[in-house]
Amino acid sequence: MSWLKRKSVLIPIDFSDLSYQALGPAKEHVEDISALKLIHVLAPLHPADPAAIWDTLSDDDRKEKVRSFTRNKLSEMGYGDIHIEVVIGDTTSKIVDYAQDIDADLIVMPSHGRKGVSRFLLGSVAEQVVRLSHCPVLILK
Amino acid sequence: MKKLPLRLKHYLYALAVLLIFLPQAAFAQNANASVGFLGSIEAGVQSVVDVLNLIFYFKVGGENGMPFIVLWLVIGAVFFTFRLKFINIRAFKHAIDVVRGKYDSDEDEGDVSHFQALAAALSGTVGIGNIAGVAIAIRLGGPGAAFWMTMAGFLGMSSKFAECTLGQKYRVIKPDGTVGGGPMYYLSRGLSAMGMAPVGKALAVIFAVMCAIGSLGIGNMFQANQAFAAVSNVVPFLTSLSWLFGIILALIVGLVILGGIERIGAVAGVLVPFMAVIYALACFWVMLVKLPEVPSAIGTIITGAFSPEAVAGGAIGALVIGFQRAAFSNEAGLGSAAIAHSAAKTDEPVREGVVALLEPFIDTMFICNLTAIVIVLTGVYADPTAVDLNGAQLSAASFETVISWFPYVIAVAGFLFALSTMISWSYYGQQAWAYLFGESTTNIYKGIFLFCVFVGSVVNLGPVLDFSDIMALAMSLPNLLGCFLMSGLLARELNSYMARLKSGEMLPATQVARETVLRR
Repeated sequence: MSWLKRKSVLIPIDFSDLSYQALGPAKEHVEDISALKLIHVLAPLHPADPAAIWDTLSDDDRKEKVRSFTRNKLSEMGYGDIHIEVVIGDTTSKIVDYAQDIDADLIVMPSHGRKGVSRFLLGSVAEQVVRLSHCPVLILK
Repeated sequence: MKKLPLRLKHYLYALAVLLIFLPQAAFAQNANASVGFLGSIEAGVQSVVDVLNLIFYFKVGGENGMPFIVLWLVIGAVFFTFRLKFINIRAFKHAIDVVRGKYDSDEDEGDVSHFQALAAALSGTVGIGNIAGVAIAIRLGGPGAAFWMTMAGFLGMSSKFAECTLGQKYRVIKPDGTVGGGPMYYLSRGLSAMGMAPVGKALAVIFAVMCAIGSLGIGNMFQANQAFAAVSNVVPFLTSLSWLFGIILALIVGLVILGGIERIGAVAGVLVPFMAVIYALACFWVMLVKLPEVPSAIGTIITGAFSPEAVAGGAIGALVIGFQRAAFSNEAGLGSAAIAHSAAKTDEPVREGVVALLEPFIDTMFICNLTAIVIVLTGVYADPTAVDLNGAQLSAASFETVISWFPYVIAVAGFLFALSTMISWSYYGQQAWAYLFGESTTNIYKGIFLFCVFVGSVVNLGPVLDFSDIMALAMSLPNLLGCFLMSGLLARELNSYMARLKSGEMLPATQVARETVLRR
């Protein structure tokens, strides 16, 4: 069945348990774990965040902290070395852009299942990614 | 990487177009349309206020009684002052030592030093309320209101200590090293540690809703409104162009919070302390010029505080107004400052709480008092020809009698104070919004925030003040309730800290395990 395997699968991670659960199903789609790529999108610091006012936490610091945090978490979960991309900006567009950059064959992500008013007002990141992505998106329920 | 700034630019353009064309369209319809369009915004704000009044402002103790929400704040401030055995006095010297950096340690978790955290929180509290709010208090409650403001500032130091200690204790360090703190976190995490998880969660959500909405009043519309009053006072042709001022102000705030043009924020951050010093010097100058009358002015304030016939509100009118304006100015009991204070680098929650108690002292007991003495000293408030003056304009007129060009300084200082306060409050509101709806949707909040900057500029003071007051004070309901429930824990933390401080061994050991926590 190896002809069905994907060469590059992207998994957006937001540090919720649900998003880590995407790793399992994603692994099924690749031959080797090195074909998996993770991405985490950070929101820009608000200019009135004390760390921003006093410039004590640079964007690079934030990215590095997230990378090492994710590496620890992955090794705890028994996954080896998976590439982790950390970017700052708007969640949906960064995920879609990165998927294009690495020419991903598939994006795997959970649907958080926002309900009611907040769903109606805000939609979900998963929905937006589905709409804008260049490649298939697997939404886990 | 290029896409994000472009998107933000689009947001800004869309906002600018919206704000520019709305009033234009209104003007096109008929010559008197400024009343029509701006008037309908005002009517909208007024009807919201009417509903909120019913909920929060019912009076305890009859017609001349105390509004429930003010009574709640007074009880909170008095309770914590006694429960924590006058922490506001006994920790004062230690607070100054901590701010001076004597206890700073780079090993501790957090983002900024004690001094930096205090300065960040102060930029939210020292707003145009320090100039305009005092004038409003004296206009409504007579000179005696200034006495009660000072008293509220003094007692408020204790509630500020309580909330900022809890904020520090139950903060979360996110994977990227930023800190999440404030009432949302200590209400949910603190109360759940006491086995009251559902209550804590509910209070946290209620607080976040109040804070997201409240930030649009106290930290936005009120500031915009009084910044316009201070500026149009010296630039008369702007008086009829409030919509233009609103657009410009919304664009500047938008550039900072949406466009990430941190320069403007940084410039305001440097200029604000500078303006505060100039302002304080001017107050001292007025006092010096009128030195022989200073004792009688202070006398007027004190007698006004206790004379029943002083104001419309009867015997407790001055007290109610004083407490209300003080809380509005120094945020004690509202919980908002705990959001900024939780970023401090420390392993001792009590230590940051101690730093925070300096805030009401600087803001209310010092700066507000200076304004009050100047207003009473110059007597403009009592001049029958000046009854129309209120807020920033009353303060400006008071200074003008001694320093003729000072209204210009008030205009610049007021504008900068308002700007930095709005930026800080947009952060508080955004944290609350993110707690409710997640980080990825905060641009919606920012859009609402900018629209309110415009609304605040064009609407009259009355409804803006009412809305801001109610929503700000409403934040104290969930916040103080949670603090009451956790007061036993606060007292224990404080005793242990003070004992270790006295014995000379400030143990580096952390009180709570601060593992990286991902979600509330």
